Amino acid sequence: MVGAMHLALLATDITVGDHIKRAVLGLQLDLDTVWATGAAMVVTIALGFALRAKATSGVPGKFQLAWELGVAAVKKQVEANIGPRGARIVPLAVSLFVFILISNVFEIVGLGSKYEFLPAPTADINLPLALALFVIVLVHGASIRTRGVVGYVKHYLTQPFPVYLLPFNLFINLVEEIAKPITLALRLFGNLLSGGLMLALLAALVAWTLGPVPVGSVVFVIVDPVWKLFDGLLIAAIQAFIFALLTILYFETAMTDIGGH
Amino acid sequence: MTFATSNFLVPNGTLIVELIAFLIVLGVIGWKVLPPLNKVLGERQDLIRSELDSAEQAKVDAAAADEERHQVLEAARHQAREIVAGANRTADQVTTAAQARAQAEYERIVQAAEAEVAVARAAAVDQITARVGEIVLATAERVIGREIQAADHRDLIAEAIAAVAAEGAATPAGSGSPAGGGR
Repeated sequence: MVGAMHLALLATDITVGDHIKRAVLGLQLDLDTVWATGAAMVVTIALGFALRAKATSGVPGKFQLAWELGVAAVKKQVEANIGPRGARIVPLAVSLFVFILISNVFEIVGLGSKYEFLPAPTADINLPLALALFVIVLVHGASIRTRGVVGYVKHYLTQPFPVYLLPFNLFINLVEEIAKPITLALRLFGNLLSGGLMLALLAALVAWTLGPVPVGSVVFVIVDPVWKLFDGLLIAAIQAFIFALLTILYFETAMTDIGGH
Repeated sequence: MTFATSNFLVPNGTLIVELIAFLIVLGVIGWKVLPPLNKVLGERQDLIRSELDSAEQAKVDAAAADEERHQVLEAARHQAREIVAGANRTADQVTTAAQARAQAEYERIVQAAEAEVAVARAAAVDQITARVGEIVLATAERVIGREIQAADHRDLIAEAIAAVAAEGAATPAGSGSPAGGGR
């Protein structure tokens, strides 16, 4: 009873989305996220250069094979959805996948504390939103390049219903286009934020005791690694893959002229 | 309470930093990492394709060689059959010719033998006839008691001789055995 009370008190102390904030050159920065992003960037680039140094057309090593599998998977998706014209977005999709994956994997070293020493940068809305906005801007650019300015505007007015339902079309399309970057960002952000929150809750369990028995510590020792493997490897990979895949699909919608003129 | 700094759903200046960070990653991967990777992937594909091509070529070559072998074998079989058939024909011809020759030889020998026999018999008949004529004359002289002039009874003698000859021709064995017995 006392233990449960204590746990309840501890749980109320848990806050989410806390960051070490500083104003730099008039910008409000989450310093821990910036630091972790830098780390993720360095790791990503290091992996890239390691591949560059070792890449061989002979029998590939495991490291090169992992890269090749990833790139081949992205290429296959692009080829299947867009065709040869989509080759330009392969680097974008690969970069998104690798960068997000490495950022997500940082959850494995999470302590469940208020400020992590190496938080997953994707658990801060700024990174997912930046990526999503960047992608959506490029998608609209591709759409304009494919349809022309007139076709681009017309596309929003004459789809999916006939032109006499123009206001409907405009409304539906606006909602869809606004929802795209938001859902893209929030899906990734929400998964990673909740992963971190789960770590914080597990860490808080340590305080749970039944008399002299440290029940919470036992549960923590067992569940924490399991959760980290699930969240830091499986969820991390799935979310990175979904982000890259949706990017490809958005480009597909933008670059294929389904409606016709 | 300042909303913008307390709500974790609201982005702040970090967004710009994150965007720059990602652009750097994109640049490095797009310019420095993927091109060499694509290059080695392409090289490997070319290698695999050329190996597949050469394997395909080898298969075609093997099939052609096999076909040629079959043709040669078939031609050899055909030739062998022709040779055997020719040999059989030749053997038949030789056999037939030999048989014909043997038959002819046989007939010739038989004819020659028959002719010889006929000549010998004719000679024997002549001889016996002459002898019979003398015996008849001698016997007749002894019976009559006087010499018979052969010229006077030429017709009679010739008639007797012809009768004996006719009898000898009818039964050559009968005519031969008295001659043999007389010797």
